[in-house]
Amino acid sequence: MPPTLPPGKQINDPGDVIRGLEEQGYITDSALATAIFLGTRLAKPVLLEGHAGLGKTEVAKVLAGFLGARLIRLQCYEGLDVNSAVYEWNYQKQLLAIKIEERTKQTVEEKEKHIFSREFLLERPLLQAIQAQDFSPVLLVDEVDRADEAFEAFLLELLSDFQISIPELGTIRARHVPHVVLTSNRSRELGDALKRRCLYHWIEYPTLQKELRIVALRLPGISAELAGQVVRFVQSVRRLQLSKPPGIAETLDWAQALMSLSTHDLDPAAVEATLGCLAKSKEDAGKITEAGIVNLISQAG
Amino acid sequence: MSLPEESLASRIVEFCRFCRDSGLSAGIKESVDAVSAARAVGISDREILKSALRAVLCSNKDEWDQFDELFMSFWSSAPPGFRTTTPRKKLQPDQPLPQGAITTLMGRSSAGRAAEADAGKAVLGATAQERLRRTDFSEASQNDLPELERIAIRLLRQMSLRLSRRRKSMMQRDQVDLRRTIRRNVSRGGDLIDLRYRAKKIQQNRLVVLLDISGSMNPYSLFFLRFAYALQRHFKRIHTFLFSTQLTEITTSLRGPSLAQAMQSLAQQAMGWSGGTKIGESLKEFVVYHGARELSRDTVFIVLSDGWDTGPPEALAEQLSAIRRRVRTVMWLNPLLGLPQYQPVTQGMSAALPYIDVFAPAHNLESLLALERHLE
Repeated sequence: MPPTLPPGKQINDPGDVIRGLEEQGYITDSALATAIFLGTRLAKPVLLEGHAGLGKTEVAKVLAGFLGARLIRLQCYEGLDVNSAVYEWNYQKQLLAIKIEERTKQTVEEKEKHIFSREFLLERPLLQAIQAQDFSPVLLVDEVDRADEAFEAFLLELLSDFQISIPELGTIRARHVPHVVLTSNRSRELGDALKRRCLYHWIEYPTLQKELRIVALRLPGISAELAGQVVRFVQSVRRLQLSKPPGIAETLDWAQALMSLSTHDLDPAAVEATLGCLAKSKEDAGKITEAGIVNLISQAG
Repeated sequence: MSLPEESLASRIVEFCRFCRDSGLSAGIKESVDAVSAARAVGISDREILKSALRAVLCSNKDEWDQFDELFMSFWSSAPPGFRTTTPRKKLQPDQPLPQGAITTLMGRSSAGRAAEADAGKAVLGATAQERLRRTDFSEASQNDLPELERIAIRLLRQMSLRLSRRRKSMMQRDQVDLRRTIRRNVSRGGDLIDLRYRAKKIQQNRLVVLLDISGSMNPYSLFFLRFAYALQRHFKRIHTFLFSTQLTEITTSLRGPSLAQAMQSLAQQAMGWSGGTKIGESLKEFVVYHGARELSRDTVFIVLSDGWDTGPPEALAEQLSAIRRRVRTVMWLNPLLGLPQYQPVTQGMSAALPYIDVFAPAHNLESLLALERHLE
């Protein structure tokens, strides 16, 4: 059962995805668009891997924007458990209800049925994702590599059946299967079963052309000259084997910083003042200085 | 690529089989998905067909990188219509074997990778496994090594999983702290509305592991690295160092997502593999440069070494006693302790003994696994 699109929305080929995401301010290539297209057609989650700052999380956001669907986000972390990912009973409210009903003539069974009804259920992201009434939402499971293996196994089960069992309520089955996007930074290898359940896409650093287009689209005020210099500079910095090479997010940050300092032409002083946007550690900053800022600027010229 | 619709499916399935033979992990289910994917995107645009098949058939970066070549070699050379594909031999694994340092350490070039590739396929009888668990690493025959490595990976993984599970169950916070709850709710007439939980804060021990990689430790070093890798997967606060005549920190290298990658990253660093040993000096280097950060009352300090030291024994004793004063436990794991006739009488070892809390053998898998209980 493929996800349901909002009425009037159609995705016929990867080209539609490329255009749709671009309208949302996200430049993508046909490979990623194909993966997303297949995700909607084959009802499979899309697993995005790649370095930090390349817009993995953004994909889900712009996809939701493009589809006009609701975005439900689950941020993973170590120790994430079912209580915070799926559902929890609202204990306080239950206690109050018991108190209020103390003098009514309901039987214990009726009372119990009441306090374990939907009214007292706190829906967490995964439960929300399968509860949609009209059409499929976008479910973003962010940084799934940070959750532990037990949770990964649970997620796998959910992504296969799209149903959740709550002992007191019974099984809730998704009426509309969500579009699922998972992201991973590869801090650990994900389980084979989960990976094989998903369509896989590896996000590369953008090419010069693509990055130029992104900068132009996201920072409309930037001069073509500065944009070119910034992007070429960042592209050479990526070749320096830093421990955290700058992603697109860093390029945009940096360009913005330079613009607010009213830099029109990249010069060593301006680069040094804003180096913190590109290098996220002392060692990385050292490597850039070592390679010679003047040198890098002349390459970017 | 103009194909009649009915042959498209069989052609795609053929390609999937070709990928599988070339080392991709895609199974039957992926073949089915690949056919649906190809139907969904059509075959008019070659790039899009490639992207579609890649999204379905690959499941990690390595396969992703390999795919281009597979796609090219299958589709481009094909004359229109059918072709009998003779699957090529397995492609070269895209990550070259660790060369240089690690290879000399292993003393054999391909055993490690072969063992990993075959992991899960071969099933060994229980008795043979039992035997291998007790085999001294230095005495394992060349034939047994791949098998031994396979078991080592599995058992060490189980161990690290056990360690983390135990920790998890202790960290659950779902116990209601009745005393504080009632105290808190007195103003509400004693009705329990605002629940307080008893949060157990279990602080994990900090681990420091020092691996001796001098010549005399050669037969053991590889397994110790695996051990360190397994530990590192589940201890957050762990730092691993190698030493022979000097000290090198390898914590970051071991953080790779897979052991093969960790090994490769290690191989790229120049270190004194198989050289002499100066334990005292290495410890001193540790104290000077890392002591302030690593040594504290909750540290378990682990040295994996046979105690053959070419430096003065006093230096070793002095450093170890200094470390002993600052940490919770000093563990010394000595592979020679597995030998029945071994006595720790080498000068270095006997100088170190007074400052060691746990002195244990580490010559086979079983002894490594037995250390689990000291790590909690």
